[in-house]
Amino acid sequence: MNMTRRVFLSGLGASALAGAAGPAQAWESKAPDDPLGCLVDLARCTGCRKCEQACNNVNDLPEPDTLFTDLRLLDVKRRPDAGAYTVVNRYFPGKVDDENQLIPVHVKVQCMHCQDPACASACITGALSKKDNGTVHYDVSKCIGCRYCMVACPFQIPAYEYHKTVTPKVMKCTFCFDRLEEGKKPGCAEICPVEAITFGKRSMLLELARRRIRNDPGRYVDHIYGEKEAGGTSWLYVSPVPFHQLGFIDVPDFPMPRLSESIHKAVYSYLWAPVALFGMLYGVKSYNDRRDQKQAGQGGAQ
Amino acid sequence: MNRKFVMAGVVVLFLALPSLAAITAQHVDPIPTKESFVPEDMIKARERAAIVPELVTEVREESLYQRRKTLLEKGVGIQDVKHTFMLLDSPIIKAEHEDFYEPVRFMHGKHISVVDGDCSKCHHLRPTDPELSETVACSACHQKAFDPERPERIGLKAAYHIQCMTCHEEMKKGPVDCLGCHSRNAPDHEELVKLRPDPEPWDVTAECLRCHEKQGEDMLRSAHWLWRGPSPYTVERTKEVMSGKATNAVNNF
Repeated sequence: MNMTRRVFLSGLGASALAGAAGPAQAWESKAPDDPLGCLVDLARCTGCRKCEQACNNVNDLPEPDTLFTDLRLLDVKRRPDAGAYTVVNRYFPGKVDDENQLIPVHVKVQCMHCQDPACASACITGALSKKDNGTVHYDVSKCIGCRYCMVACPFQIPAYEYHKTVTPKVMKCTFCFDRLEEGKKPGCAEICPVEAITFGKRSMLLELARRRIRNDPGRYVDHIYGEKEAGGTSWLYVSPVPFHQLGFIDVPDFPMPRLSESIHKAVYSYLWAPVALFGMLYGVKSYNDRRDQKQAGQGGAQ
Repeated sequence: MNRKFVMAGVVVLFLALPSLAAITAQHVDPIPTKESFVPEDMIKARERAAIVPELVTEVREESLYQRRKTLLEKGVGIQDVKHTFMLLDSPIIKAEHEDFYEPVRFMHGKHISVVDGDCSKCHHLRPTDPELSETVACSACHQKAFDPERPERIGLKAAYHIQCMTCHEEMKKGPVDCLGCHSRNAPDHEELVKLRPDPEPWDVTAECLRCHEKQGEDMLRSAHWLWRGPSPYTVERTKEVMSGKATNAVNNF
């Protein structure tokens, strides 16, 4: 009996050491070096909803119930859903013009195309992946419909075609992957009448954003949303008012998969966790056995 | 006696015929068609819009006030306006998939008068090259969007929109919505509309409603449809009996 316990304890110690070795391996980002991206300038956006219309056109999305020219929809706080990869919402953060009228700020919402996407990390089949050109790409042929991506996304973007019983898909902005491959621009960026969406390399966009803020500090808040959020995203925003007033989600500055993947790796490295679990169960069982034997022995003595 | 009268009548008729023919000829003037109407200034404007100037790569850095001062000193003003009418239809901004709107007809002459001959309101920078004009066309500097070599320089479409809309907002004059400047680029209805050879009025209404059902419903909720008398403010029709589309007017489809 004593022998068994010693073996068990030493085994536990060894597995604990192996476990300690796990988290010591640093988590590595798999982000592409200089991907393509878009800079959305909320000080420029006029809320014409042409990006929504172009997105609908180029992605062959279903015709919406309300016309794209109906601007009353801006005041309904919408989220991207199975029928629309991008939506524009209108906010009135409180600034007024010279006639004391509230100045609206329009916010385009779509997939941020994270540098280290949580959705791709959570995806168990590899249907979601970060491509070198910056897109977080969805491959429907690999998707099993578990919808972990929807839970994982810190920006609450992926939607699901619940109304389709046979061929449902996860729906989210594709960054016009096919168009980028052909050397074209994303549909929304191309149609924007005021270039509120600038398309280009992420490094160039960051520089451009910094220059806009520096050249007109009264017009912009000194914050580029997406530069650090969730470890950096391919889509970036500059804004005339603080982002929390515009429905932007406060996301931590580290890549989402860093924590989850570190835990994941730590738990499963060298199979120490199952070994520890079963070792512990064995210990409990042998303890109970010994106790039962002792009780039985005492009972026999009486 | 009778024969004389008849003869006279025939003579009179012969004399009158040419003038009668002339009168009828005036009345059966051909209905002017789209093709027969040739607005010359529009054709010229269209030709000018098709020209893409060589891209200006270097511009002189100047603040708006400096720019205004320079232009005043050089005497550049309303007298230098070459074209009072322009069609903003450059091939640079031809949309790839769909043209929602017609090009804007820009009244250059009117705008320069409105800003009291201050060209710097729009011509905000000038090329470094001294050979080039003080007031080059917008499309000389602003061309394709997202040029990686000049990321800070916006494309022609955005340059137009930002320049026009920002100024209209600041001056509180001029339209800031899409349809204020553009007319809608409706598809050619000649092929779309299907009517029998001699249609009744209600056939036409039914044909319109085939596609524009929603607009029809909107119309039914408008004053044009629901109007009924009396009309107290209509001159010479005050205290008229109850009448109108909603009551007793005909053509209620």
